[in-house]
Amino acid sequence: MRKTLLQFFALLITMQSFAQNTITGKITDEQTGAPIAGATVIVKGEKTGVFSQTDGSFSIKTNASSNTLLVTSIGYADKEVPINGSVINITLTQASKSLSDVVVVGYGTSIRKDITGSVSQVNAKNITNTPATSFETAIQGRAAGVFVEQQNGKLGQAINVTIRGGSSVTAGNQPLYVVDGIPVTAGDLSSNGSSTNSLSDINMNDIASIEILKDASSAAIYGSRASNGVVLITTKKGKAGTSKIEFNYFTGVQNPTGRREFLDSKEYVDYFTQAALGAATQDVIYGYEPNINSAKRDELDYVHSRFTRYSAGTEDWKTGKINTNWQDQAFQTAPISQYDLNVSGGTDKTKIFVSGQYLDQDGIIIANKFKRYSARLNIEQQIRSWLSLGANMNFARSKNYRLSDDDQFSSPLQIVALSPITPLIDPRTGLISGALDPSTGAPNTNYPLYFNPLLAYGNNAYYNTLVNRTFGDVYLNATILPELTFRSEFGMDQLNQTEDSYFGKLTARDVGVPDGDGSYATTQALHYTTNNYFNYKKTFANVHDIDAVLGMSYEQENFDFSEADAQEFPSDAFKKLNAGAVKTGATSSSTGDVLLSYFARVNYKYDEKYILALSDRIDGSSRFGVNNRYGSFPAVSAGWVLSEEKFLQNNRFLSFLKLKASFGETGNNEISDFAARGLNTSAAYGGHAGQIPSQLPNPNLKWETTLGSDFGIEGSILNNRIDFDIDYYTRKTKDLLLNVQVPGTSGFESQLQNIGNLNNKGFEIEINSTNISTKDVRWTSSFNFSRNKNKVTNLGGQVLGSDVNKAIEGQPLGVFYAREFAGADPANGDALYYKNTVKSDGTLDRTTTNDYNQANDIVIGDPNPDFIYGLGNTLTYKDFDIDILLQGVYGNQIYNGGGEFMSASGSNGFDNQTIDQLAAWKKPGDITMVPEARLFYPNGTDPSSRYISNGSYMRVKSVTLGYNLPKEVVSRLKIDHLRVYVKAENLLTITNYKGWDPEVTADFYNDNINKGYDFYSAPQFQTITIGASIGL
Amino acid sequence: MKKQILYILFGFTALTFFSCNKHLDTKPTSSIDVNDAFKTSGDVTGALVGAYADLGDDDLYGGQIFIGADLLGDSDQLNWSGTYEQFTQAHNKALTVSNSFVAGTWLQAYKTINDVNNVLAHLDIVVDADKDRVEGEAKFIRGSIYFDLVRMYAKAWNDGDPANNPGVPLVLTPTTLISDSSKVSRNTVAEVYAQVISDLKTAASKCYMATYDEHYIFATSMAAYAMLARVYLQQQDYANALQAENSAIKLAEENGYHLMATYTAAFPSADPPAAIPNTPEDIFDIEVTATSGLNAFNEYYSENQRGDIQITDAGLALYEPGDDRGSFFGDGEYTLKFENYYGNVRIIRLAELYLTRAECNFRLGSAVGAKPVDDINMIRERVNLSDYNSDDLTLDDILRERGLELDYEGFTLHDEKRLELNVGILPWNSPKLIYPIPQREIYANPNLTQNEGY
Repeated sequence: MRKTLLQFFALLITMQSFAQNTITGKITDEQTGAPIAGATVIVKGEKTGVFSQTDGSFSIKTNASSNTLLVTSIGYADKEVPINGSVINITLTQASKSLSDVVVVGYGTSIRKDITGSVSQVNAKNITNTPATSFETAIQGRAAGVFVEQQNGKLGQAINVTIRGGSSVTAGNQPLYVVDGIPVTAGDLSSNGSSTNSLSDINMNDIASIEILKDASSAAIYGSRASNGVVLITTKKGKAGTSKIEFNYFTGVQNPTGRREFLDSKEYVDYFTQAALGAATQDVIYGYEPNINSAKRDELDYVHSRFTRYSAGTEDWKTGKINTNWQDQAFQTAPISQYDLNVSGGTDKTKIFVSGQYLDQDGIIIANKFKRYSARLNIEQQIRSWLSLGANMNFARSKNYRLSDDDQFSSPLQIVALSPITPLIDPRTGLISGALDPSTGAPNTNYPLYFNPLLAYGNNAYYNTLVNRTFGDVYLNATILPELTFRSEFGMDQLNQTEDSYFGKLTARDVGVPDGDGSYATTQALHYTTNNYFNYKKTFANVHDIDAVLGMSYEQENFDFSEADAQEFPSDAFKKLNAGAVKTGATSSSTGDVLLSYFARVNYKYDEKYILALSDRIDGSSRFGVNNRYGSFPAVSAGWVLSEEKFLQNNRFLSFLKLKASFGETGNNEISDFAARGLNTSAAYGGHAGQIPSQLPNPNLKWETTLGSDFGIEGSILNNRIDFDIDYYTRKTKDLLLNVQVPGTSGFESQLQNIGNLNNKGFEIEINSTNISTKDVRWTSSFNFSRNKNKVTNLGGQVLGSDVNKAIEGQPLGVFYAREFAGADPANGDALYYKNTVKSDGTLDRTTTNDYNQANDIVIGDPNPDFIYGLGNTLTYKDFDIDILLQGVYGNQIYNGGGEFMSASGSNGFDNQTIDQLAAWKKPGDITMVPEARLFYPNGTDPSSRYISNGSYMRVKSVTLGYNLPKEVVSRLKIDHLRVYVKAENLLTITNYKGWDPEVTADFYNDNINKGYDFYSAPQFQTITIGASIGL
Repeated sequence: MKKQILYILFGFTALTFFSCNKHLDTKPTSSIDVNDAFKTSGDVTGALVGAYADLGDDDLYGGQIFIGADLLGDSDQLNWSGTYEQFTQAHNKALTVSNSFVAGTWLQAYKTINDVNNVLAHLDIVVDADKDRVEGEAKFIRGSIYFDLVRMYAKAWNDGDPANNPGVPLVLTPTTLISDSSKVSRNTVAEVYAQVISDLKTAASKCYMATYDEHYIFATSMAAYAMLARVYLQQQDYANALQAENSAIKLAEENGYHLMATYTAAFPSADPPAAIPNTPEDIFDIEVTATSGLNAFNEYYSENQRGDIQITDAGLALYEPGDDRGSFFGDGEYTLKFENYYGNVRIIRLAELYLTRAECNFRLGSAVGAKPVDDINMIRERVNLSDYNSDDLTLDDILRERGLELDYEGFTLHDEKRLELNVGILPWNSPKLIYPIPQREIYANPNLTQNEGY
């Protein structure tokens, strides 16, 4: 009689009911002495096994001939123990990353040593209690090949996650996110240009582990959405045994990681006086003024009158009496707190995990706030010996008090454009500068220099986004035969978002509406999924292991959007649309897509030595034309465990060694839902309804495909003390889904076509080591390094990109392509550019010109790093522990898109300038990289390498110092554990970048091509928290 | 029991397998498939409305194409203090090939032309009652755009040989797919003008002529004649310009259009801003409402908006004392012509028609419709200026009157070119006074040649 047990996801153990001897004992942690529950004890060479109990005790029956026990437990190194008595106490050593760890893969699980693809894993302990809005922050620097970049320091802002380099120019470049087997809505649902991150609805303390499927063979089971990798999130589940209650709390403060330096009021006055004189010279050259003296007089008169205007009508600019640091007004020291309670437990039949959390976070930018409430219930019930069912449900409500996008005058950091000679409070009115023009009773229209963003917050204006979201799944598992199971799951992700905004009377200068402008928008995103698949798992003749999956999946996504707008409010006390006298807009729209898939995978392992995996997925997507609706995404991979071979067995140095290789095809369907069709859209004119062509049809539109290969070596040396995983990969993307720029004379700007190729190749190293492991001291390290080289190889001869970032054949995606700046002409202060035109002999003309149009664009920088790395160290001494993570990015450049305003030689007017502009050319003979200041005469402000900087940085990303109350104290208090800690995120950033923060891409500008572009973008958070975890 | 549940499971799974396939044919809802777009006469008239909407985009007749011309043609009457580098370049006569306003206007123009070409390609399904009007209005839009394109992006008619100078590409059929034939070359200036004249002549004969009281907001034959007169005037073809303008004026006067009593009344505004119907002086406007359209003149000139363009002392000094137009400024430097946020964009005002007729009559020594002095005095009387005597009137007087009456409305550059007047230190035919072909267009279509000097 055999009984099947399904525990710990996939570990299949059978128990035999006959035996000769019984061995008992207790399993404890070598270091802490704590009992280890749930460890597997097997008699070596046989398939019999038991689990240890809560107190670490076990009892196993053995044959007389048995001589060794094999003990395995998650998080510990495997141990073989000789049978030399009937009572054996066993101690296990913690392993940083055990080869027997369960690894979640698509539609199933595997164990690390059987993996033939490339999968990075980040565990709960690295994620839990990270003081950040969204979990991606917590994986930054922790996984090789995963480049995490937060666009800017606004809360709930989109985070770019690029796995092994961007694979697409126009279609999506972000990975697929799957929570407990169900793909979820990710990405930006904002309607105000400042992108949001749907993943910030996930409570990161609920996450048990994150697996990142990086290579084609592991990701290909997700077919047409796998080209950018797949991020699998597994939430915590209950375990049989005593119920545990855990309460986590932290609180702290956040500050900006960096500041940019601007002119103070004396410098400002000097600079613009200089700019007036520079302009006077030009006035004469252009013939606007008869001679230099009259030109200087006129220009100085003008500048002085403006100084007086911007000094609130006073002459204080002459004395430097007013010296406002506007930047300080945009920033704030912001509190953050999180309260988190979870309960887990269960019996043989029922397992349960319940959690609730409240996150209350203020932004480092004024008025920015994020509050999230979330609750989770994960439950599984064994209803028959062969049938279990369960549900994972999450409810989240997040409210984001948002900011305008980086390109708006109302975005707080644009405040730096205001003049330091302008007082914060206008002495004429006693109100914030710009709030009131006493002569009209309305807000000022020409004072201060621009709309003062301080008027767009507080009671005057808001932009609040509220998300109510329910996501989760119900599933059942049926054991049809001992080796054949069937799983059916139905998942739903329902996201309801409202965006409620009001811009009051004081913002008239910004919004262009005198008496209030309100808007209310709703977005409903519904994504449902059903997966149905069989799993066959059997070992033949003790050496042939088969693990096969066959199934189908159906997914449907629908988005419904509506918005209404009104203006003319009776007063700012009224903020809802019912009060707006003029309804200025009403719209609704919807879109959706369907994905129908069939998938199969067979893993075969021979004698623990040779592993082969084959898989295929067939996806049908509504996004493509009828002719190319279905795509097939096959993959194959193989592994050879050398350490199981005779010649390496019992090698004391080498505990484990595996060679692996994989090949596979993945697809990308992240294009708009109706991209293949010719479309007409509506257009209104003077109250009449009309229609206009909006999209050309492309009946031949098909999948963008990436052919990936991966070669890796994975091993463990010195008795599992050091694990390493080294991978080399190539990813070749063909039939790019490209928004091809077409001749504008066609009436269209671009068309989605399958043109072009791009390649990524690189290598990754992950090393985990246990450096010291004694009773009192334990020191572990983890290091990851990844280098990716991206190259666009074919775009059909086009240069794509609307601004300075371009996609160009032969170059990495998104290179900065503009004129090469050559500094100021020593003779006259003109901005000079290297011509870089191709001479007849094929070389570049390196002479300079002051005529921008005479110079050629060249590659002036690359937003893609040469390499990224992370180094983590955890040191435990008795009850103290310290964890330090360094994270870095090297070899990329940043383009300061705001440079044409803030480092602009005064050419766009009176914007305050960055401090480096003081080095401007002043007189003939000056050698400087900063051209002469010339008020309203552009002098070197067109896109050029003038605004390029090195973007490399190294951060002390995370430091945690913790103290665990000693066991004896804890048990006296009748609690399970108590931990207090101090944690710092982004404690220190080492960089040469002179801007706010080198981790940046302006939110309104971000896409596949447009990266590394700074535009008044908020810096990242430096967060210091203290916290406690208490377990009962 | 176990078996029964399993059967149900398999049954359910099989069902999902076979019922899903048809869902892959998801239809768009927010836009419509192009195959469903031209089925009825109403679809075609709707497409014509769409063409007006595109014509009214801020890059095009929403105003930027005219503001660009005024900044480029300004010697010393305007001060540009805006943050938009694109217009800074225009005002400094230092346009770059990557100027996004230059590209935006080009793209929007050809987008609208494609809209119109779609309308014209489906004329056969338009009901007879609408057919002429639809064709006429479509050709009014196309002719007007090609006229503005050729005078912005190519050498002036009087600059060298128009039969040899490259103009802009003429695209006269709708685009249904992109192929090598989409990579068009530039037609000559003369070919473009010929097309413009042909389109506008058809428009003049086929457009509907509404009385003012009908408040017809679309192009009329009166508007087409007036636009045709602009074209001939640009070609220095005074006889044809006179004939066309006189036809326009006759239609206007017969149908209840007239100059407003005061200059201020010709540029009405509302507080709070609101859509105001066209005045009887408006021959053709782009409609702006709270929900559609945008008035770029308002955006750049109005003190209550960006206020990027101020009138310099030199500009203000041109007005005679007592001229109402000389006091139509806010804060002594902002023109009040464009104060209404929801104001229609005035493309053709009746005053222009009288001024053109006067100029042509004067040059030809004729008095078709009216004596030049009468047309000029009508303009002057309205702004409280004294009459000219017929004998004293000079061409310079007429041109000065034209300049003052139509200032900031997009005439400066084009008048300077036809009158061959210097712009600052640049000669009228300087390549710097011509928009470049946008860089993106050269990248996308290697058959296009760039303008001299870029």
